[in-house]
Amino acid sequence: MQDTFFDPHQRATVQAAMARIIPTDDTPGATEAGTVDFVDRYLSGVDFIYAKPDGSGFEQLTGLRRDAWRQRIDIIREVYVKGVTQLDTAARERHAREFVNLEPGQQDEILRDLEKPYQQQEAELERARATLYGAPVEPALQQTSAEIDLGFVPLLALHTRQGFYADPIYGGNRNRIGWDVIGFPGPASLAEVFNGTYSTLEYFAEDREHPIRKDPS
Amino acid sequence: MTTTSGAKPDRVDVCIIGAGASGAAAAKVLTERGLRVVALERGPWRTKETFGGDELANINRYNLWPDPLLNPRTVRDSASGETRTELFCPVPQMVGGGTVHWQGWLPRFTENDFRLRSIVGDLPGTTLADWPITYDELEPYYTQVEWAFGVSGAAGANKYESWRSKGYPCPPMPQSRYAQKFHQGCDKLGWNSFPTPQAALSQPYNGRPATVISAFAQQHGDPTGTRSSALNVFVPDAVATGRYDLRPDCYVREITVDSRGAAKGAVYQDATGTTYEQEADVVILACGAVETARLLLLSKSAQFPNGLANGSDLVGRNVTFHEYSAAVGTFDDPIYAWAGGGYVSASSFEFYEHDDNRGFVSGGHMAVAGVGIPLPINWSLPNRPAWGAGAKQMDREYFNHSLAAAMVVHDMPQHDNRVALDEEVKDAWGLPVAQITLTPHQNDLAMGRFLIDRSAEILEAAGATSVQKVYIDRITGNCSHQHGTTRMGNDPDTSVLDRWCRSHEVANLYVVDGSPFPTGTGANPTLTIMANAWRVAEHIADGRAATS
Repeated sequence: MQDTFFDPHQRATVQAAMARIIPTDDTPGATEAGTVDFVDRYLSGVDFIYAKPDGSGFEQLTGLRRDAWRQRIDIIREVYVKGVTQLDTAARERHAREFVNLEPGQQDEILRDLEKPYQQQEAELERARATLYGAPVEPALQQTSAEIDLGFVPLLALHTRQGFYADPIYGGNRNRIGWDVIGFPGPASLAEVFNGTYSTLEYFAEDREHPIRKDPS
Repeated sequence: MTTTSGAKPDRVDVCIIGAGASGAAAAKVLTERGLRVVALERGPWRTKETFGGDELANINRYNLWPDPLLNPRTVRDSASGETRTELFCPVPQMVGGGTVHWQGWLPRFTENDFRLRSIVGDLPGTTLADWPITYDELEPYYTQVEWAFGVSGAAGANKYESWRSKGYPCPPMPQSRYAQKFHQGCDKLGWNSFPTPQAALSQPYNGRPATVISAFAQQHGDPTGTRSSALNVFVPDAVATGRYDLRPDCYVREITVDSRGAAKGAVYQDATGTTYEQEADVVILACGAVETARLLLLSKSAQFPNGLANGSDLVGRNVTFHEYSAAVGTFDDPIYAWAGGGYVSASSFEFYEHDDNRGFVSGGHMAVAGVGIPLPINWSLPNRPAWGAGAKQMDREYFNHSLAAAMVVHDMPQHDNRVALDEEVKDAWGLPVAQITLTPHQNDLAMGRFLIDRSAEILEAAGATSVQKVYIDRITGNCSHQHGTTRMGNDPDTSVLDRWCRSHEVANLYVVDGSPFPTGTGANPTLTIMANAWRVAEHIADGRAATS
């Protein structure tokens, strides 16, 4: 079964860019967590979209659902292919080298510049709303994200985060590195949630009873 | 009319479109009263074995959310505004509907919610209306639903709740650390707070085991089957009668009418693409307020050229969605806001009731939760950079140390805020999608600002080291709450349905989801949706018994 998408250069470039999204410092980063493996397999087709809930493998998609995922993966692949080209074009123009061979600071600068058009677009939309409604503008909480609407850098940031923090069955978060970095005691495997043995009750307040203050009146 | 290709199924007493919270509640009541019911549900009938603790699949990859490529919606800020294609106010489309992936905050509305127009008078720009029913009429059905579900809560702990004939069947869920902070803040301010009543079992109930306290709960299906949902409670009850023919993956394209203008049945397409017409004596719509309005508007006929039951041009209008936002706080001591899934909560109705002194109408439910979905991928703080060393540092420092003091904005009904058909955009079944036109009222924004300022005060009183206020600037549909598109009332000129949620124009057509709500109120609607569906179903069964 095909389980990769990138050619070696694309893979190296995405890996280098991901290392800037979640950098390695005194704790592991995207590189150690294998986030490039996560996205490379995601883009390989529609065979790794949903893990089976008991952790025994992946769902086989059928019908309209499969068609929609095929369409979505095609769109996202194109964003990556163009994005890698843009990174190299900018790197050659400024430093006469490919993106993978730049210093981290130089890579950050290129990523920031590539991100700007999307940020400006968003800022303009928010300014328009602020003028219209006279309210300060902040992002709404709890919104579902639509991957296919994102530009390259925001998409890369999203996938790096997903590859760092998703259940290890998806190919990233190797040895639960991402969870350890932030202190999330995730389940040993999807099976532990599936069979009901995973509980977070020990992380509740020591006093398990709510204080009930009934009005005497 | 759509042509059919499949053999005609047997006519039944009642055909219910949808098997979510309201459709399954109505099905339970009707089948237990001896009526034969066919339910047509557009989505799958998933069992607990298809759900898992998988944040990526459930939150980010539409495992439960509708896929926007198959089920798009469009939205615009005004009738002259630019149209965007957006997954606006999604609700899972499957047996159980939104109750499949919720954590189920189940507060009751209060007595005044049913008469807000009488209390506050006219609010310019709005279509504020009293409900044609009272709290007293609904109270027995609140109790029925709470006891069927095994809701966990403490009667009387909310000092602003209205009278109740019976307490909660289960004691409150255990106290999370985020609930504890909320109680501490409210206590310091002298404000009442209470354990949020929840659709979960704090102890075994009715042969069901206590709910597992997983981190994968909010917006996740439940692989253990221990949370309370329409899927876990009402559907099995209805199936047990032997009179509930629940057909999943059956997409209704049109409600047909007979020559006298009565609802005849539903034309639907099954998973193989075969089209059938299911006839019934009574047709009940339970698709959620957006899709119910869309289906009525799609059901055009000679008698109803503007859509079924829409002689008044009110179908789809006065839509309200709530808006969820918060003040976000960080703390020195760990909060672990993912524990229990982030929504095993504490609440306050301190600013729920209307107060003339505040400069806006009504108020809303305040409650504590994790920030958004407080799991590793989707947790965030409002000012976190998108990437880089700074983003990583904030993840490390605050993932376990943050929470949201949140609120539900009671957005005001407006005539021009509406659901219509977008003839330019079709879904995967080739039908025009719902087009939402939505402008916030100044009252919505003022209420949001006030409640979030109060939320921030709770956080400060609880000892937060930082507080950020996320004011709302529009209604984004982020609650998955939908109401008002076929409002009920006594006057056919200003309402679509009568007090029994029956169409003024079509005598055997009912709506039992959030569509009948004249106002959205400031509280989570699903308990009231289910209680009202129960009430209407009893009324339908009573009517059948009287005539047979």
